[in-house]
Amino acid sequence: MDGVVGALINTNIKYKSGTCTAEKSLYTMNPVTETPESQVNGMTTTTVPPGSALKAKSRPRKAPELQTVERRNWLIHLHYVRKEFDLCKHLIREQLEETRGMCEYANYVQGLILRQEGKIQESFELFQLCNILNPSSVENIKQMARALFLLGRHKLAVEAYLQAEDKLDKPDWELHHNLGVCYLHLKDYDGSREQLMFALEQNKHHQTFAVLAKLYLLVNDVSSAISTYRAAIEYFPENGDLHTALGLLYMQTGKYQQAFEHLGTTLTFDPNNTRAILAAGSMMQSHQDFDVALAKYRVAAQSIAESPPLWNNIAMCFFGKRKYVASISCLKRANYLAPFDWKILYNLGLVHLTMQQYTSAFHFLSAAVNLRPTKGHIFMLLAISLTYLDDEENARQAYEQAVRLEERDPSICLNYGIFLHNHNDKEGAIKMINEFEVRMVKFRHATGADLDTEIIENGAKLASLLGVDGSVFRKKPGRTRLDAQDETVLLEKTASVTDTLKPVEESVCQSPPPVPTAIPELNPSEVPDAGNTAVLVPPMEALTLEEPPAFVSDSSNARGKFLASARLQFQEDESKVTDTENKKETPNSGFAEYSDDIFD
Amino acid sequence: MMTENERWLTAHHDPLAALYTFSACMALADLHGDGESKLIIADLGTGAYNMKLKVYKGTSLMSENTLIDLPTGVITFHMDTTEPRVPAVAVASGSYIYIYKNLRPYFKFTLPTLEVNSAEFDAWSQARDELLDVSMLYEILDSLRQEVGECGLTTRSQRFLMCPDHASQATFLNQHKGFILKRQTVVTCFATLKKSHAEDDAISCLVLGTESANIFILDPEAFTILNSMSLPSVPVFLSVSGLYDVEYRIIVACRNGQIYTLKRGTKIGRPTAELTSQPVGLLKRDKTTIVATMDQNLHSFNNKGKRLWSLKLPAAITCVETLEIRTLGLTLTALGMADNRVMIYRDKHLVDTIYTEDRISAMKFGRFGREDNTLVLVMKGGGLLVKILKRTARFEIEEAQGSSHALAVKLNIPKKTKLFVDQTMRERENCVLMHRVFQHDLYRLRLNTARAYVQSLETSSNPVSLSQTEPLKLSAQVLGLGPTFKLRVELQNTSSTSPSLQLAVIFHCDDRIYSVNKSYIQIPILIPGVIHVAETLVTCISELGISDTVRVFVVKGKASRPLLTAVISMPVAEIFMGS
Repeated sequence: MDGVVGALINTNIKYKSGTCTAEKSLYTMNPVTETPESQVNGMTTTTVPPGSALKAKSRPRKAPELQTVERRNWLIHLHYVRKEFDLCKHLIREQLEETRGMCEYANYVQGLILRQEGKIQESFELFQLCNILNPSSVENIKQMARALFLLGRHKLAVEAYLQAEDKLDKPDWELHHNLGVCYLHLKDYDGSREQLMFALEQNKHHQTFAVLAKLYLLVNDVSSAISTYRAAIEYFPENGDLHTALGLLYMQTGKYQQAFEHLGTTLTFDPNNTRAILAAGSMMQSHQDFDVALAKYRVAAQSIAESPPLWNNIAMCFFGKRKYVASISCLKRANYLAPFDWKILYNLGLVHLTMQQYTSAFHFLSAAVNLRPTKGHIFMLLAISLTYLDDEENARQAYEQAVRLEERDPSICLNYGIFLHNHNDKEGAIKMINEFEVRMVKFRHATGADLDTEIIENGAKLASLLGVDGSVFRKKPGRTRLDAQDETVLLEKTASVTDTLKPVEESVCQSPPPVPTAIPELNPSEVPDAGNTAVLVPPMEALTLEEPPAFVSDSSNARGKFLASARLQFQEDESKVTDTENKKETPNSGFAEYSDDIFD
Repeated sequence: MMTENERWLTAHHDPLAALYTFSACMALADLHGDGESKLIIADLGTGAYNMKLKVYKGTSLMSENTLIDLPTGVITFHMDTTEPRVPAVAVASGSYIYIYKNLRPYFKFTLPTLEVNSAEFDAWSQARDELLDVSMLYEILDSLRQEVGECGLTTRSQRFLMCPDHASQATFLNQHKGFILKRQTVVTCFATLKKSHAEDDAISCLVLGTESANIFILDPEAFTILNSMSLPSVPVFLSVSGLYDVEYRIIVACRNGQIYTLKRGTKIGRPTAELTSQPVGLLKRDKTTIVATMDQNLHSFNNKGKRLWSLKLPAAITCVETLEIRTLGLTLTALGMADNRVMIYRDKHLVDTIYTEDRISAMKFGRFGREDNTLVLVMKGGGLLVKILKRTARFEIEEAQGSSHALAVKLNIPKKTKLFVDQTMRERENCVLMHRVFQHDLYRLRLNTARAYVQSLETSSNPVSLSQTEPLKLSAQVLGLGPTFKLRVELQNTSSTSPSLQLAVIFHCDDRIYSVNKSYIQIPILIPGVIHVAETLVTCISELGISDTVRVFVVKGKASRPLLTAVISMPVAEIFMGS
């Protein structure tokens, strides 16, 4: 202690005596001019014994200053975190020249910068160099492993991570998370889950939760994926991506209420989250909230103006609002952006059918059917357009194909029955009405909900024309719709069976078709439908839509599901279309829902 | 570009101040006890030389002291109780802390040396006593480096190992062997900690973070180390609160992306929060810590390390600063962004934005001159900008500014013309006819296509042979400008096993336009996969300057039908006008 104080006083005296100007005094402060002994000033332990001091004096008075290799590390780091890579690279170059490439940290940051620039192989070599310079550092091995991972050499990356793990004295979240991701890519799902779980024990990070949930989805364990996301949201209540992912999963499993809650939460925290916007928008569409959905899409259109599903959804909003020209415009844009998407082509066909442009409708539908030859609904629309194009033979074949491919949707049978009846094939028509009845009963059993009123009424009408017992087609009291009238009228027209119907038809035609959104009862009636149906088409579709990147991989599954589920809504539309040969455009709830399906 | 902000006045703007500094290298303090606060900036100069300690009084540069090495940070603090109460300036630089009083050098503190590896120490002392020669020393040190790593050695050993040849190693050894071997470290960050009283002008200790991953607390009077603590990684940012003699808390952001907490009585940093990206700035609030990270996020953690909220920012963050506005009782967070603006947050709500002409490199908020709420900004290009907060300024949180903006945006829906509508009407009326005509024409088109295809197969006028017996591929090139061209034909047998025999290439053209040097070329046996090249010269003999086609046939034996045909459109030949 004494020695220190002494040294302190000495220096003080030196400064005070020698300094009048700042510059001069600074000169004295220069370590270069100082004796090595005075550099240890302020230390408690290193007072130099007098003997050695004497010895030093006899030699040249000062040692050439050696600058610490690490002296600029802090500056390199600071520029690196501020993303001032140009400056940083300049500094690193100087530092490496000065130290002949031996500065570990400069090499390390150089590697990090190269990685950010996408030069993974070069960065890997630098981390290897760092590892040679300092073999004891776990950090270098971790960065090597990371580079290997980015190069796609997952096996080597796993080995490197395991090597790093050996050197660590305590578990590290990052290491186990990355190991989990490597195992995931190697398709070792059990190993991956183990590592990710372990990483979560170390520290909760939303990335780990997201990877774990992805893993569960890969092994088709949806419930575990949901619970993972739920756990993640407890730790990250404001993370929009987690909420969106959970919302989409809920949609997939048919829990619309929860799905909507989570999507809503996302939009509260991040109003520009396009995935959430598309998902929420498609749900709103299925409830006929076209204006609200459009408002949401407007936000999304700012950031993803080239998304085919977005324009498809917008188009179907306009369709629901009966702005057909706008709808066609948007669909054509969607088709331009994704020419091989059958859903967009299908919607184009549907809208053109509604516009009575049967030739165009046929054109788009035949394109759709070429891309997707297994979907019964396309064949049904194709049959309808062929009917109007006076091509009876092909229409019949298309109907046959539709009935064969789509085994559950009752509306196809009904439309085919009407077609057969109009072409004087009473026997075939009776067969179809019976099939319709069977499918309808099955549908009621499966979903607990009833078919659209219009379809049932049309079924009843056809049954009475054919002289079949139509008692099954009884209406539920609450479900009557204004549209229904219109459609019946139309049906008669096409069928032109009975005179009695005609007056009704005329009156209907005069009255403007009612807008469904304006009717209060409509919405409630629709909602239960969606909630009850196990199939839940709209959510599925929405899901695919929201995730444009996932599009390619998911589409096949999702589509298959949709198709199955989509028929419900679909049928409504079609039945109307078919029934009403004159094609009055009722904005049906069915259309809107349908539109949702289309999204992928 | 620059929009005048309603809350801030520009007091001074010097775009040519040529400053290169960081927030840590700036301080505001009343250095002379005259009630006027000065701006102290440690300027890194060019990054290699010309480092200066600059003091601004008002808008003018008052004094300039040369610094020997790059400054890491500048701090003003009270180191004694003498009157008048004038703070000292501490500049951290390399392994030293330079203390200035009244802007005169007063004291230099050297960081304690680190323990030298015993094997290394022995090697050097033996070398000094000439028991080891240069190459042996080199070997020992090199193997030691393999063992403990580059950073475990002293600077002298590191530099010795850098010497490229024997001669320079020997010179190096002779120069240095007589001195004590020591291992030094450098300061990476520093801060102050009040010693026993919380008043503004109470005595403060210095808190230093070093490259050796230590934290030292220095006594301000004797400059002894009061406490030394260690961390798992190199500290980058420090935030200190409390009193040394009572209770204190040091929050450290480290290079491994973790945040550690040190308290009175601890020797080792306790991990508090783990970040997924490198921290760019660290600010302390009453009960929370705000951390800006490299991935453009702003996080808030409580003292236990629980994340309270996170914000995604629109650009990279370059620096952070606390705006403590005592008159309003507010503590705001200012973020210098890479897209030329300063965003000011109240908790997690954006309350103000200052646009600048350049990227912000450093910020300091405090009393400058006689104005309490001053924000000093240093630009990346070296400019200095001083903003004063208007007394009428308020920072209220605005609600939902984003949604109204989005509603105003119209959807860009392509318009349809009247023609479109007319066509629609026409289609409605004539749909059956249109459909039939279209289908009819479509069938004809398909029929014609199929016929043309069959015809080309029949005449073998295709460059790829589809026959099973002779699978061949032909490609032709025309070289030269004319009038003489070189025709180069490449033939390849695309089968996997069977060779082609008896092949020949025949050139056919209009003999009024072209003359072909070798119109018949025999092809030797074609081995699968190998490309055979047949070449001939073709001269344009027409004086009309026209071009025509040349047909290339591949025939087999005496067969009358070619196997392959290629039609080459010849380019227009350059004509020698003189001839």
